Amino acid sequence: MLEAIDADGIGAAQGDPLRDGVVVFVEADCPTCLLTITRLAQAGIDDVGIIFEDPAPVAARSARQAGYRGPVYAEAAPYATSERLGIETVPTAVRFDDAGAELERSVGWDRAALAALLNADLGSDEPATKPGCAARWTYTTEPLDELEEMFDLGYSDGLPVVPPTPQRVEAMLGGRDPALTLGPVPPGNGEATYERIATCAVLAGCKPSYFPVVLAACEAMLDEAFNLNGLAVTTSPPGQTVIVNGPIRERIGLHSGVGALGPGWRANMTIGRAVRLVVHLTGKGAPGGLDRGTLGHPGKLGLCIAEADSPWLPLHVERGYPREASTATVIGGDAPLSVSDHRSKHPEQLAATLAWAAAATWSPNWWPLADVTQLFVICPEHVALFNDAGWSKDDVRTAIFATPRRTGAELTGFGEAAAAAHLHPDQTFRKWLDPAQIMLIAAGGEAGRFSAVFGPCLGMGSIPITREIT
Amino acid sequence: MTTYISPFDERTVEPIAFAKRPDTLSGARVVLLDISKAQGDVLLDRVEELLRADGATTHRLVKPAFSRRAPGELLEQVKIHGDLAVEGLAD
Repeated sequence: MLEAIDADGIGAAQGDPLRDGVVVFVEADCPTCLLTITRLAQAGIDDVGIIFEDPAPVAARSARQAGYRGPVYAEAAPYATSERLGIETVPTAVRFDDAGAELERSVGWDRAALAALLNADLGSDEPATKPGCAARWTYTTEPLDELEEMFDLGYSDGLPVVPPTPQRVEAMLGGRDPALTLGPVPPGNGEATYERIATCAVLAGCKPSYFPVVLAACEAMLDEAFNLNGLAVTTSPPGQTVIVNGPIRERIGLHSGVGALGPGWRANMTIGRAVRLVVHLTGKGAPGGLDRGTLGHPGKLGLCIAEADSPWLPLHVERGYPREASTATVIGGDAPLSVSDHRSKHPEQLAATLAWAAAATWSPNWWPLADVTQLFVICPEHVALFNDAGWSKDDVRTAIFATPRRTGAELTGFGEAAAAAHLHPDQTFRKWLDPAQIMLIAAGGEAGRFSAVFGPCLGMGSIPITREIT
Repeated sequence: MTTYISPFDERTVEPIAFAKRPDTLSGARVVLLDISKAQGDVLLDRVEELLRADGATTHRLVKPAFSRRAPGELLEQVKIHGDLAVEGLAD
């Protein structure tokens, strides 16, 4: 059963698409199909029916992205039309006569064959041919359930999600105006209405009590100084790490103790995931699309850390907020590197261990890290060693900053790439330009001497941003 | 059928059409936009040589930071100085 798409930007369907004309069977996740639709749009063709083996919203979204202005149809499982016509590959273009009999077909992207079938000029851009994908009816047999439907709709980061029913989204909003907006979300600039942010929070598995944290983190992330646009598209791996301080941690069950970097705690896991889904879905920052991260890292699924209470000043107080305030701070960063130090007896030794571990991040041959803030998570046993010696966060920061030094000769030993940086052999380099580039938070289990340093993201000019949670 | 709230901004964005490609580079004014990424100048130097050999005149402009969008004033400069533009990605 074909469903004609009646939506903004989609051409009106007229009559039976399987008579007296041409249709193309496609799937939204088939690159060759998207190529074909885009080329039809570029050729100014708008009288070919595009039949998606996808849900209607996906069909409309994909046609818009390709710029296609003609009629669009969606066919749901079990894809009876496609099976009846023996469409084994998408894209397949079929021409019918006015009685509905097939006249000819073209399979895959075959520019010359399709141009002949359409009697149209499809240009000369490469490629001339490209094989397609298997039609869904040839391999899809299981009945659709609502969790599978979420994948079909594209509402996922690759893991199952909670279906965003109107009731769940309304509960997440908690009486807030769904039309309020935080502005466009880079890189694709979808508008971050409260309703869409709440939808991402539902998809991620948040409780409504977590939503104020998600909102504050999104507001911080969308500050121009954070440069989400650069972070979201770069070939380097950064995600958007959220750090929460203040009394809201206890109120909603954010965990800062054993296993603080996860997994295991719903509030941490789902808040971080919701923020990333806002980038991934509303911001159209999906890997392989606008997100060009060469490797990415597992923390890009979402990472939310609660700073533990410690003898040190908490991050939000360091950043000018009252101790009783609750805040969300976002920082762009790579994956954490665990730093074991079970041997140091003195704070200088421990600071040196942390510093030299950090010296290898981004690249062992790239000194200094000019425009980054680098996050260290210090475990309770390490905090205690520092604190027992009377060292504050500032003291630790200063010692970490002062420790790693390399000469240009040592750095150029890593090869041509360092040499290309024109490092003078006798010049001494530090890993950072300023101690203020080092951000320290306390977290982790009481036992074990494992701290962590997060890889930074160079070149973005991204500044960590804090917003109060209200 | 159950309805769901979409996390996507489903509004239609008008696609921006490419300008017509010129038949010849001879006499064309070409802006070479360096985005400030390492070794971008190496690529653009070579492109500039090839363009000049084909009879084009060139004008170099530099984006302040590769990871941020080009300022509007810079885009105006591109329009003022060029009939065509080449943006040099690098690394």
